[in-house]
Amino acid sequence: MSSREDILGRVRVGLNRSATNAAAGRAEMAAALSNRSHGPKPAIDSNPQALLARFRIKSEQQSSTVDIVAQDSDVPVAVERYLTAMKLPKAAVAWPSLAPLDWVGAGLKVEGRGARDADLVGITGCFCAVAETGTLMLCSSPDTPAAVSLLPETHIAIVSASRILAYMEDAWTLARKELGVLPRAVNFISGPSRTGDIEQTIVLGAHGPYRVHLVIVES
Amino acid sequence: MEIKSMHFKANASATLANVVLQGNLKNAKGKFVTKRAEAIKDLDDFEGTRDAATAIRNKVIDNLDLWLECFERKALDTGAKVFWAKDGAEVCRLVTEIARSHGVTKVTKSKSMLSEEAGLNQALEAAGIQPVETDLGEYILQVDNNEPPSHIIAPAVHKSLDDVADLFHKVHGTPRKTEIPALTREAREVLRGHFLSAEMGLSGGNFLVAETGSVALVTNEGNGRMVTTMPHVHVVITGIEKVIPTLEDLSTLMRILPRSATGQSISNYFSILTGVKKPEEHDGPEHLYFILVDSGRADVVGTDFHAMLRCIRCGACMNHCPVYQTIGGHAYGWVYPGPMGSVLTPLYAGMENSIDLPHAATLCNQCGIVCPVSIPLPDLLRKLREKQTERGLRPLTERIGLRVWAWVAQRPKLYALGASLGVRYLKWLAGDTDRIRLLPTAPEWSLGRDFPAPQGKTFRELYAARQTRKGATT
Amino acid sequence: MPRVRVGLFVTCLVDLMRPRIGFAALKLLETAGCEVIVPDTQTCCGQPAWNSGDAPGAVALAKKTIAEFEGFEYVVVPSGSCGEHVRIEYPRLFADEPDWRDRATALASRTYELTDFLVTVLKVDSVPGDHEGTVTYHDSCSGLRGLGIKEQPRSLLAKMKGVSLKEMNGCEECCGFGGTFSIKFGEVSAAIAERKCDNVHASGAQAVVGGDLGCLLNIEGKLRRMGDENTRVLHIAEVLAGDA
Repeated sequence: MSSREDILGRVRVGLNRSATNAAAGRAEMAAALSNRSHGPKPAIDSNPQALLARFRIKSEQQSSTVDIVAQDSDVPVAVERYLTAMKLPKAAVAWPSLAPLDWVGAGLKVEGRGARDADLVGITGCFCAVAETGTLMLCSSPDTPAAVSLLPETHIAIVSASRILAYMEDAWTLARKELGVLPRAVNFISGPSRTGDIEQTIVLGAHGPYRVHLVIVES
Repeated sequence: MEIKSMHFKANASATLANVVLQGNLKNAKGKFVTKRAEAIKDLDDFEGTRDAATAIRNKVIDNLDLWLECFERKALDTGAKVFWAKDGAEVCRLVTEIARSHGVTKVTKSKSMLSEEAGLNQALEAAGIQPVETDLGEYILQVDNNEPPSHIIAPAVHKSLDDVADLFHKVHGTPRKTEIPALTREAREVLRGHFLSAEMGLSGGNFLVAETGSVALVTNEGNGRMVTTMPHVHVVITGIEKVIPTLEDLSTLMRILPRSATGQSISNYFSILTGVKKPEEHDGPEHLYFILVDSGRADVVGTDFHAMLRCIRCGACMNHCPVYQTIGGHAYGWVYPGPMGSVLTPLYAGMENSIDLPHAATLCNQCGIVCPVSIPLPDLLRKLREKQTERGLRPLTERIGLRVWAWVAQRPKLYALGASLGVRYLKWLAGDTDRIRLLPTAPEWSLGRDFPAPQGKTFRELYAARQTRKGATT
Repeated sequence: MPRVRVGLFVTCLVDLMRPRIGFAALKLLETAGCEVIVPDTQTCCGQPAWNSGDAPGAVALAKKTIAEFEGFEYVVVPSGSCGEHVRIEYPRLFADEPDWRDRATALASRTYELTDFLVTVLKVDSVPGDHEGTVTYHDSCSGLRGLGIKEQPRSLLAKMKGVSLKEMNGCEECCGFGGTFSIKFGEVSAAIAERKCDNVHASGAQAVVGGDLGCLLNIEGKLRRMGDENTRVLHIAEVLAGDA
């Protein structure tokens, strides 16, 4: 007997599995999968301005920094401003999807590709953001490689204000609508990587970025 | 992992005598407790969320076979391969075979308690494959002679900054650093090379999502993302009980898991990984394997201990346990310490190997109160005590003592006589003081404290006398 | 109002070690106008057997206790631990004996921890005694987490002019007693007790007060071993009755 059959067999014995209760179990399972019921959620004002305000506060609580610009074309200048202020190099890897922005015009050398170990700054967008916890949702694809938000010491993420949702549940609804199936990697990111493994003292920059900077685009 | 739970008492005693360790434990105690208490406040309805989380976990374990089949079907659809392992040995064999089939020489690992259960690192090393632990806490332990973890969330919580400073200085051959950020940076630099060169990444799984065939991973350091993004092979090993139905359920559980574990409203990284990299993608593994592990779980289904399968491994029970706070995790002698460990170890590693564990609790129910999936841990510990008695595993003197007590307590006259004699004996031991320094009938009591002397007569004697006086005066 | 007929279950530990707590409970109930009966056949509620894995012993003692006390309007226990055993565990002991389960449930619903009874059922507006000094209150685990005993003793202490309550840190944390735990794992138990005693000391109170004699013996034993001859260790009944 295979391990699979052995294990499932013993689970079935434990559950007193019969044809009748299997049918009932399958019905329950189908219901759970189609109902997708939600648990209780903390109350959040879903007005767009309120979502933006909450997202900002929560992001800052997670040690991210936040800048707000009016439109997409303002992003390269805002990124340059941040890099200058932080005395960081003016070169970055970005999602290929962001390559068309006028980086050169802002004095930046930005390459749209997958990330390498030597990259110091990584620029990404995000699929959407969650106001409840100040969290970015990034979906991997050829145009949006996962490692750009992971390998570099600095992660800059561009967030459309219109895509700040209240809850993670809303993000799933949006993903089902726009993507159909889940991409290989959905990464929810809430601030720079951190560890508390030595004396429970939080240190930023464990294996991923030391800093996360959000450029929120209002329109 | 080798089980040393039969030495609980000696290990606990050694822990209490270790001044450095006691200092470290004292320093750690309370930090998790305070943070959790703060973090659950901003959920408007913590109890409601806890109930919802409990219901989600029940839904799955009550029809576990069906949910496992559902998950397997979905995972296969995404291009992953699914294996099943009955025990640790089979886990080791499967992982080694997968590694060999891909020509793997190095495996980076994010934290997996199942890997500890199976003793996977030793098996990989024996097969000539280098395992590298990448969670900072696990890494510290691995380079310290493969010391076992003492906590499921904070594996090196028993170590102080000084301990780590000495260790890194020794194993990295670098100047001794005394700042936590500098030590963290040093580990980062060492491990970055491993992340980029390992051919295979191995992770546990916080949850398996049946709806999508995905694994959900919760980390703060980003090592979980590294080991599942950089190598071209990713192996997930999880217990069979880790399935949950939908992504919405995942959201509910994520409101309660990080808060219960580290007191965070959300962990830094929370990844839902589904299937393999597409040819045109820049990163991600080309091969994804799930190993669904039994190792004692299937036999718990439907028993008195069924509720234990709800456990989401947050560690809140140990953080709040007065015994764990006092002796740390190593004394428990296997993979899982604290209250959940005292239930799991007898179930998974053998009741006869862990006689002390179910008794190593005051049944204060602090664990039951904080458990995010409402596992009645004290009830389960009590139930294990009952099973031990039924199987005759308790010491004979204890079993006889209990029977005699219960027998006598059912016979009021005999009981009254015994009580009256016992009290006089204790009073005699105390002499003209108000305490007994050494209690011969229960010497353990007097190891660290006195035993207050009894008043002198039993209540029933004094009450009877009072009633007689009353009768005489009326 | 007709007099409430109460069965007093003094508990085995009070019977053996501190009869004065039983008399204090008696005084409190009688002062509050109850007719108190103390069945002289009472022994132990069976909790030690239950917690030690001796289910048959626990069931036998539960049956005996139920039979002794089910005739009373209320049953009062000067212990959160024994009270919890009767109120919460008794009905669960009889999964396979519906008749006994019904009797256990009926008894459970009429059984109260002493301070809970004084506050919740009798709604007393005064207590007979007074006590001069600062006290800190140790919340015993079974009473607190099993029966929700938290405000009851404090509200009663607040009725006493001379008492000033100084809360200690970690007042809800276990003292390390744990019944047979204290004699099976004496060292660990005493180490937990030491933390409790440190908190008692840090509160600066002259006395530590609690509702469970087991915890109190543990705390007193540890305080004395630590060389503290001054801090008094008192049961809430003694304090409220003015017997302390």
